[in-house]
Amino acid sequence: MSEVILEARGLERRFVTASPVFGEPTVVHAVSGVDLAVRQGETFAIVGESGCGKSTLARVLTRLIPASGGSVSYAGRDLSGLRPAEIRALRREVQFIFQDPFSSLNPRMTVGALIEEPLRTHKIGTKAERRARVAELLQRVGLPVQAATRYPHEFSGGQRQRIGIARALASGPKVVVGDEPVSALDVSIQAQVVNLLAELKEELGLTLVVIAHDLAVIRHMADRVAVMYLGEIVEQAPAHALFAAPRHPYTEALVWAIPLPDPGARRAQSRVAGELPNPTAPPSGCRFHPRCPYAIARCSAERPVLSAPDAEGRQVACHRAGELTLDGLASVQSARSDAARARFDLYRQAREAEATPD
Amino acid sequence: MSGALLEVDDLAIRIRGAEKNLVDGVSFSVNPGETLCIVGESGCGKSLTALALMGLLASPPLEIARGRALFEGRDLFAMSQAELSQFRGDRISMIFQEPMSALNPAIRIGEQIAEAVRRHRGLSRPAAEARALEMLKKVRIPAPEKRLREFPHQLSGGMRQRAMIAMALANDPALIVADEPTTALDVTIQAQILDLMRSLRDEAGTALIMITHDLGVVAEMADKVAVMYAGRVVEAGPMAEVFNDPQHPYTIGLMSSMPTFGGENSRLVTIPGMVPPIAEMPPGCRFAGRCPFRGADCAEVPPLVPVGGHEAACWRAPLERLEASA
Repeated sequence: MSEVILEARGLERRFVTASPVFGEPTVVHAVSGVDLAVRQGETFAIVGESGCGKSTLARVLTRLIPASGGSVSYAGRDLSGLRPAEIRALRREVQFIFQDPFSSLNPRMTVGALIEEPLRTHKIGTKAERRARVAELLQRVGLPVQAATRYPHEFSGGQRQRIGIARALASGPKVVVGDEPVSALDVSIQAQVVNLLAELKEELGLTLVVIAHDLAVIRHMADRVAVMYLGEIVEQAPAHALFAAPRHPYTEALVWAIPLPDPGARRAQSRVAGELPNPTAPPSGCRFHPRCPYAIARCSAERPVLSAPDAEGRQVACHRAGELTLDGLASVQSARSDAARARFDLYRQAREAEATPD
Repeated sequence: MSGALLEVDDLAIRIRGAEKNLVDGVSFSVNPGETLCIVGESGCGKSLTALALMGLLASPPLEIARGRALFEGRDLFAMSQAELSQFRGDRISMIFQEPMSALNPAIRIGEQIAEAVRRHRGLSRPAAEARALEMLKKVRIPAPEKRLREFPHQLSGGMRQRAMIAMALANDPALIVADEPTTALDVTIQAQILDLMRSLRDEAGTALIMITHDLGVVAEMADKVAVMYAGRVVEAGPMAEVFNDPQHPYTIGLMSSMPTFGGENSRLVTIPGMVPPIAEMPPGCRFAGRCPFRGADCAEVPPLVPVGGHEAACWRAPLERLEASA
C-alpha cells in the first residue's frame, strides 16, 4: 500500500448563512468531522448529491478556503498554520481543476498567458523556457500550439477544460483536485477528457482527487470512493466493491437511482423518499435516518461513526451495517447480437488504427 | 402511418438567410400513448425540434425552412400564433429543463396551474383551484394545500419539476413534449421524477416526446428512439432494437464513449474531434469528418433507410459487411 499524501482528520467547515441582530446566527456545517486519507498515485473520488458538502471538502483539502476545525496535512505537513508564502508554495504541488473552466479563466488573458501564469507566479524558468513549456502543455492536452494567442471564449467547453488542465499542470503538481471536471461536457467529449486525465495521471505519476455526482464516471476513473451525505462521509471503499455491494443505505439508493443505458437492465428506482433536509438543521442521530428505508429507533437517537477500515479497506457509518444485505449493481448480460458486438469491435479497431489522440 | 397522433415530416430549421440548416430534414411520428425519446449531444438540434413543435422558436432569427407537423390531422407549422396558443397547454403541453425559468416567479403555484385550466376549459375559479389541488396531489407533492399558496422560489428543484408536471397534465393533453426534464436534478430525485412521469403517462395514456442527452434516461422511458447528430436523425427505431443492434457509427461511438459499470477501467473508445460549426458542416454526411469508416460515398447525404430491424442513415451500414469485403 502506498504512502498517504493528503490526509484530513476531524475536518470541519462551517458557514454562517445569516447573522441576525438578535438571536442565534444560522450556521451550515458543510463539512462535519471528515476523516480521510488519499494515497500517493491513486484516484480518490468523493461523491454525493448537491449540497452534501463535496465541493467545500475539496476546497478545504486544497486550502483554497481555510478549515473551521480539524486538520489537513499534505505530505506529512499540517496545512492549518501555513503563512501566505507557504500557501503559494503549496499551490505549486496541489492544483485545482474547476467544473466550468470558463468561469475560472480570465477572459481577457490569452490562453498562452493563462497557462503561463502559474509558471510566472512560481518564478519557474526564463521567458523563453516558459513559452516552450506552454507550447508543450498545449500539445500534451491535445490543443494546437496556435491556441496560445487566442482567448478562452473562442473555444468549446471541452477545449476549455483542456486549457484548464494544461494550466493546472503547468507548475508540475503532485496532486490534482478536480471539482466535477467532466460533468458539464457532452458524453463524447467527456470520454476524451476522462482518457486524457488517465493518461496524464499515468505519465506524470499524479494523485487525482475527483469530486463528482456521476457514478458511472466515478466507477470508471476511481480506485477508491468516499460517499458524502450532509457534510459527513457515510461510506468509503474501493470503487468496484462499493458499487457491487454497497454497505450504507444511502450508497444503495444512489446506485439504484442511476438510469442504466441498457434496455435489459433493471429500472432506476427511488429507494429513498423525500429530499435532502435543511442543512442548517440536520436531523438528529444518523443524518440519513428520515429518508432511510431501514431506519430503527436507535438511528434517530445516536450518531453512527465511520468504522475502522476492514481487510478490504471498507468503512461505513451505519448502525445496521452488520445485519443489512444491500443490493449493488449486478453485471448485466448485454442483449447485443453477435453482429452488433462485431460492429463495436470494428469501431474500436478503426479508432485505434486512426490513432487520433484524444 | 395513419394512426399517428403527431407526424413530423422533413422539418428544417435555419437562421434566416443562412445557407445550411440547423435542423435538416427531420421526420418522426408518435402514436397515441407512445413515448419517443430524441437523444443527442449539445447542438444536435433536439431542443430546436421541440421548440418548433410548440411554436416557440425565437423567430427571427430562426425560421422553419420547410416541413410540416401534422397533429390530429392539422399542420402545427401552418397555424397562426392565436390558433397555436389554443393548442399549447391544452392538447400539447411542454415540460422544460429548468422549471424556475418556465414558471412565473411572481404568481403562486396554485394560481399558475388554475390559470392554465381556466384558460382552456373555462372553469370557474373555485373549480380551477380544486383542479390545481388535485393535480398537486397527483404529482405527490408533500403538503399540497400549503404548496398551492407558495411561490416557485419556495420550492426545491425536484418539487418545482413536480409542479411543472402538474401544470402540464392539468388539461389532460394528448401529447407532452419534455425537454431534458430531469437533467438539472440530483440522481435520487431524477429517479423519483422518472418514476412519476412513467406512472402518470401510463395512467392517462398520454404520448410523450422526451428530449435528452442521457442514454440511460432513454432506456428507462422510451418505446422508440431517434438519435440526432448535427441537425439530422442518423438512427431511429424501437428502443431495444437501437440499443442492442446499433448501426450508425455515431450511435456506436456514443455508446462506446460511455463508461460502464461492468467492465475494466480500460481506456474509453471515443469519437474524435467535435461537432463542426454549422458553416463548416461537410456537404454530405455530417458525421463524416469524425467517422473512422468514411469513404468517397459519404460526400452524398445518406438517406434514413431500413438496416436490420430499424433505420439508419449511413452508406456503410451494416458495418460488418465492410469486414467481409476487406
